[in-house]
Amino acid sequence: MTLLELDGVHTYYGESHILQGVDLEVGDDEVVALLGRNGVGKTTTLRSILQLTPPAEGSIRFKGDELVGKDTYEIAEAGIGWIPEERRMFGRLSVEENLRAAVPTAAAVAEGLELAYETFPILEERAGQRAGDLSGGQQQMLAIARGLVGQNELLLVDEPSEGLAPKIVTDVGEALLSASASVPILLIEQKLGLALDLADRYYVMDHGEIIDQGETAGVTAEDEKLRRYLSA
Amino acid sequence: MIDLAAPLVIGDIADLLTSPGEMSRIVIEGLAKGSLYLMISAGLTLIFGLMDVINFAHGAFTMYGAYIAGAALLGLGVGSMGFLGSMGSIFVVMLFVFLLLAALGVVFEVALIRKLYEYPPIFMILLTFGFAITLEELMRMVVEFGDINNGQWQIDWATPRIESVPTELASTTEIGFLSFSGLQLLQIAFGVLTFVGIWAFLNRTRYGLFVRAGVEDEEMAKALGININRTFTAVFAVGSGLAGIAGVMLALDPLWAVNVPLALAVLLPAFVIVIVGGLGSFTGTAVASLLVGMIDALGTWAFQTGVITFTDLDQLMIFGILVVMLILRPRGLFGVEGQGDHG
Amino acid sequence: MSTENGERVPAWIGQYLRDHLLLVVIVAMFVAYPFLYGFLTNQFGIAAAMILPETRTMLTIMALGLFAMSFDFVSGYTGYLSFGHAAFFGIGAYFVVMGFNGQVPLVPAELPFMVLLVLGGLVAAVAALLIGLISFRLSGVYFAMITLGISEVLYVVSNNWDYITPGSSDPSDGVAAGAPSDVGFFEPVIGIPFVDPLNAMVGPFGDETLLGFDFGDPQIVSYFLIGAVVLLCYLAMKRIIHSPFGKVMIAIRENEERARAIGYNTFRYKMGAFMISAFFGAIAGGLLVAYVGTIDPQNSFFFLVTGFALVAAIIGGLGTLAGPFFGYIFLEGVQEFLAREGGGGGLQPFLEQTLPGGVLELNLGGLTVNEALNSFMTGHGEFYAGIIFVLFVLYIPIGLLGTLRQRLGTESVAKYISRRVTARFDSAESQPAD
Repeated sequence: MTLLELDGVHTYYGESHILQGVDLEVGDDEVVALLGRNGVGKTTTLRSILQLTPPAEGSIRFKGDELVGKDTYEIAEAGIGWIPEERRMFGRLSVEENLRAAVPTAAAVAEGLELAYETFPILEERAGQRAGDLSGGQQQMLAIARGLVGQNELLLVDEPSEGLAPKIVTDVGEALLSASASVPILLIEQKLGLALDLADRYYVMDHGEIIDQGETAGVTAEDEKLRRYLSA
Repeated sequence: MIDLAAPLVIGDIADLLTSPGEMSRIVIEGLAKGSLYLMISAGLTLIFGLMDVINFAHGAFTMYGAYIAGAALLGLGVGSMGFLGSMGSIFVVMLFVFLLLAALGVVFEVALIRKLYEYPPIFMILLTFGFAITLEELMRMVVEFGDINNGQWQIDWATPRIESVPTELASTTEIGFLSFSGLQLLQIAFGVLTFVGIWAFLNRTRYGLFVRAGVEDEEMAKALGININRTFTAVFAVGSGLAGIAGVMLALDPLWAVNVPLALAVLLPAFVIVIVGGLGSFTGTAVASLLVGMIDALGTWAFQTGVITFTDLDQLMIFGILVVMLILRPRGLFGVEGQGDHG
Repeated sequence: MSTENGERVPAWIGQYLRDHLLLVVIVAMFVAYPFLYGFLTNQFGIAAAMILPETRTMLTIMALGLFAMSFDFVSGYTGYLSFGHAAFFGIGAYFVVMGFNGQVPLVPAELPFMVLLVLGGLVAAVAALLIGLISFRLSGVYFAMITLGISEVLYVVSNNWDYITPGSSDPSDGVAAGAPSDVGFFEPVIGIPFVDPLNAMVGPFGDETLLGFDFGDPQIVSYFLIGAVVLLCYLAMKRIIHSPFGKVMIAIRENEERARAIGYNTFRYKMGAFMISAFFGAIAGGLLVAYVGTIDPQNSFFFLVTGFALVAAIIGGLGTLAGPFFGYIFLEGVQEFLAREGGGGGLQPFLEQTLPGGVLELNLGGLTVNEALNSFMTGHGEFYAGIIFVLFVLYIPIGLLGTLRQRLGTESVAKYISRRVTARFDSAESQPAD
């Protein structure tokens, strides 16, 4: 069942024509990786879905409803969660407050906090600390937790491993894997190995368009074709 | 009239330092003034911190609060009530003014400000500035037309204050070497109340959480499902209401004039305080209010003891603080990098 | 082109006229205005007097229009709002008055007006230098706040410092040039010195002849001279805007980071622009004093002086230079029209004369129409100006001239007109002679 569908999406950043007709799909039971070099428009794709950088042309449908033209908060309410590049914690707020802000209704807060702390016990330990004081890896956990407690049906995850030590990257990967059991994910990730481990399918993007796609089963990080796509 | 009398300075300062009574009088004066400044600036900080809107109409809102309070006090006949009756009425008037000006703020935000969110910040400045001028002119017309204070919009409308403020407020109490007036006590009480109230709103309510999140990262807040536009409206309403309440407090204080120029007289210290404290930081505003209040009190002392004779000295001093702060630490005492950095 | 004798009129005159057609036409209209006013009010009576300002009012309008242009020079082109621009206006005005009175140290009393004017401009430029040193290191918001604060300080000082008013009068009432008893009369002369027909004394009791013509009215002579100075300043500012310096100013407004990245020392350019705008702002202040002879804090340093320049700039179009000038005229026109200020006639007297007495006496909730008109219109021009301003900010943010430019698809309306006329002229010339 198709959950998210992008159809001929064109997005501009000022004068720059970043997305030049993006078509992709995410089903309601899979993890899809969006691969490509820096600057080809992967993050802009996520921002377009969220209407943070609204598309100039094209259609984006989620569960059959058109997203283009809606307010970002409506998109979040519809059930799309964002785990952005650089985590973007509310640094001056506490860990717990970051989670509270992510829960859609006041009534669901207790339940949400419980879920977050079960999944990431470390967060409970540091519940009262300023989010800005956490380590990179802990912030990433918090970012993922925010996505989980938001009662989301789709998570948009952008470069979760960026700037993290290898050991932490493994932890993050495990967290995402267990998250994917309950929520489909559209994932942007530069570390090819991690991306292929997590994803069921992949798209390759270049110059604002999808140039290739496929199943990840049977493809390894050493794959010639993929490496060529991703080399600078 | 400037007339610096330097030789007396050293002697006066020495006198001051050795007199706990004098010192405490100045400290209390500083606290009271600081409280007033806090009430004046709190709304401006909230609005700027969250929405990056420099609300030039802020002073006009306070001026309206002062006039409305004056009219309400006279209308209710507070002058003929006993102490408790008067105080109770004053509280009622405050509530009324808060709601009225909050409503005005909502209308302003929804009808006008909302249209310009996507534009460069200069437009917001222009819009609120235009609104301020229109509001001030409107009040001028109302004063003339309604024959308030004999149609004198430039002169302090002292009648409500003289008739309605209970004498207990004006009288001074002495405890040990401390001496303070009832009015100062009231002002400090309200200052504390304002601080605690806003603090509680920001840190203990869900809406306050949204506000603080929005201040830090508007996009992320939106992506978490926070209806930031509605939060903006709420904050603008609260900020406007606070400005109005500040006006009520000023109407009770003989050191402030209830007249149309009050709008500008209030706006400048408010801006200074918000910048000195750090744009977007409520704690910063609180600290800066106290600082400015203290310096104002010291300046008044200097004026009274003849060290410096220069009316409007307080304006110069406040501005001096601003310049010093901008040279030494432009983002203010508690400012966050990146706030207000729009060309 | 040829005259009766078959001689050719120098081609460059024709070319110059075509290149600057719009400017020439507008200047011609301004030159003709004093005479047109008399004619039109004679023909159309109160209807004309309602809309058109008197020559006397035009003097103030021109000085303030120049001020609005100087404001736009820095605010519209670099993007840094000079909220305290009134400070420079006041410096220019007060310098001329106090300088003449001998109250300015190092400046001898009774210096010629033009000298005082330029010196005042230089002082203002230096003040801008100092202010800029503090404020330009920060972003635009802080710049606006600091400049506002400074003009406030100057306002307070000029309102209270009794050094300004010799004798015992109140400084807040202002000071007059020629007030001290040991100083002569203030007789400001504008024009090219030593060439008699090309200069004249400005003022209500000034010369009545200029360029060999006797106009019989000192107002008209003053109008021409002040107008000439304003025109010169406008041309100077325009020249700077169109120069490489001006291009950098615009680059700073569009994207300061990028301009810096390219290698421009944006600080110096901002500073330069600010100082130039201060110079011309002060000239405007001095010009105002030239006719009136006195100045007071309310009309020079007060915040609303900048405020109105800002409103004028928005209406005319920020960043168009000429826009704010016409914006100011529009604003004054509206104010006069609605609020009977400046003695130029207005809507209220018009209504009073034309509405039947029955309507005027009509009672609306305890108030006659006549009284209502009086209460809500007289002297309350700013209210309507404020509303118009807000409407412009919301719906016509680039101003009238800005919108015109956009519609015509050109950077300069003057050039557009010149191009069209030249094209027409060229195609006519290339027709074979009959």
